[in-house]
Amino acid sequence: MPLKRHPTQWPWHGLLALILLSLAAGLWVATKRVNYEWRWERVPQYFFYQAEDAQSAPVAGTITQIRPDGARSRVDITPANGDQAVSVTVETDTLKVKVGETVAESNDIGAQRHWKIGPLTWGLWVTIWISFVSGFIGLFIGLITGLCRLSPNPTLRGLAVFYIELIRGTPLLVQIFIFYFFIGTVLNLDRIVAGIGALALFVGAYTAEIIRAGIQSIAKGQSEAARSLGMTAAQTMTHIVLPQALKRVLPPLAGQFISLIKDSSLVSVIAITDLTKSGREIITSSFATFEIWFTVALLYLVVTSLLSQLLFWLERRFARSD
Amino acid sequence: MIKVNNLVKVFSGRGKPVRAVDNVSTQVSKGEVVVIIGPSGSGKSTFLRCLNGLEAFDDGQVIIDGVDLGDSKTNINTVRREVGMVFQHFNLFPHKTVLENVTLAQRVVRKRKAAEADEKAMALLTKVGIAEKAHEYPSRLSGGQQQRVAIARALAMDPKVMLFDEPTSALDPEMVGEVLDVMQQLAREGMTMAVVTHEMGFAREVAHRVMFMDAGKILEDAPPMAFFTAPKEPRAQTFLKQVL
Repeated sequence: MPLKRHPTQWPWHGLLALILLSLAAGLWVATKRVNYEWRWERVPQYFFYQAEDAQSAPVAGTITQIRPDGARSRVDITPANGDQAVSVTVETDTLKVKVGETVAESNDIGAQRHWKIGPLTWGLWVTIWISFVSGFIGLFIGLITGLCRLSPNPTLRGLAVFYIELIRGTPLLVQIFIFYFFIGTVLNLDRIVAGIGALALFVGAYTAEIIRAGIQSIAKGQSEAARSLGMTAAQTMTHIVLPQALKRVLPPLAGQFISLIKDSSLVSVIAITDLTKSGREIITSSFATFEIWFTVALLYLVVTSLLSQLLFWLERRFARSD
Repeated sequence: MIKVNNLVKVFSGRGKPVRAVDNVSTQVSKGEVVVIIGPSGSGKSTFLRCLNGLEAFDDGQVIIDGVDLGDSKTNINTVRREVGMVFQHFNLFPHKTVLENVTLAQRVVRKRKAAEADEKAMALLTKVGIAEKAHEYPSRLSGGQQQRVAIARALAMDPKVMLFDEPTSALDPEMVGEVLDVMQQLAREGMTMAVVTHEMGFAREVAHRVMFMDAGKILEDAPPMAFFTAPKEPRAQTFLKQVL
């Protein structure tokens, strides 16, 4: 009999499915026991909804004509002094006037509907852009700090160590409060700027350590080869060491950035309306607590997994020279 | 071309300091090929690395083409571009193609235009017999091919001196020949070379002088014929008995 065997896999897949199903069943039973009434139908309106804009008569006059135009109607109002007729378009089912009626200026004629972005979509957008901006600034801070951390100059090295230890040794929530209430007050910063600043400083400290490790992982022979060709230390860093180091630290950097998207939910405490804050606000009006929190979690999950896929693809592209 | 006076390099790691290069004085004239041999740990690589300042030496003087490396007014980078170095482990830049490996320093250090650097690189790659791999990444090349690219990369700077630090020690035996051929050709063209190697055949055929180092000192410095047939030092005699 060969040593290499092919054990049957399907019972284990079956067991996995069974465990996941029983988890779902457990959740369902749990909500039944607290008599929770699911109202999933309330959720979509927080992504997009149709807003009604009341349309009023711009002039006083008589309704001379109502022409249907798809689901809408065009209402022509001819002013009493014989001027050119003015037309107003409203949804047909909101129409409040008939032909021949006289209307005064600013009388209600009907309403127009159009799609509006709901608070969940808006919050998701705020979360995404705050994360990207602070991630980008954080990467820059991390790069500089990582290089300072490895500098032969004791001042630069000391400052880098101080900054990294300070940030890594304190909770992000506390940093956000300090940034907003102390630095924000002293420098008169907008809450968004304070939030982005706190996140960027936070992620910068972790990025610095990742970049330092990446630089140190590049074999000494690489910089020796570059220096022996007459390249300066700075040229060696930019052309030889950093490109290789950044490629190598792409996976941990990506992990850090994905963490940042999740950590950005903490800026909701300084009243930035990100995804988490939107969720909390919606719950106060919709009472669909469970649904909204599950939806918010799912939205974070979608963003982070899309990002994982993107970075996986980038990694494979960069593996070209291996 | 190379002048070394009372060179000292001390490694002071854990334990007691080691004098890796211990008061060495020698010189190499233009066009001369010097092979440095000796047991491992004898300081021959460290000595070679002191010659282009890769090791910061503790005492003494290294003068390359009239420029004192230790002088505070000397820009070490301008000296290094005149001194090519080939490493045991090739140290090609893995994220750059073969061609980019050879053109990078030309463009960054010598400030040559892209076309000029490419032309020079292709000429050198042809010379070392590897032009057809110009657009490959180093990881796709065999050890011997990589080492020949490394030689081309060093030559692209038009160095006055070439240093070889055990250039064939990391190669499979059947690839040693192709690298030694390139080195031999360089020697014939009149390049000033200092070579640390264990290839006694190369030392015998190509070298003008053979230096035997042990415990950081040059114990014997003689033409290859004299050194290989009648070594004077007892330490050199036992070493030769073991390797030949």
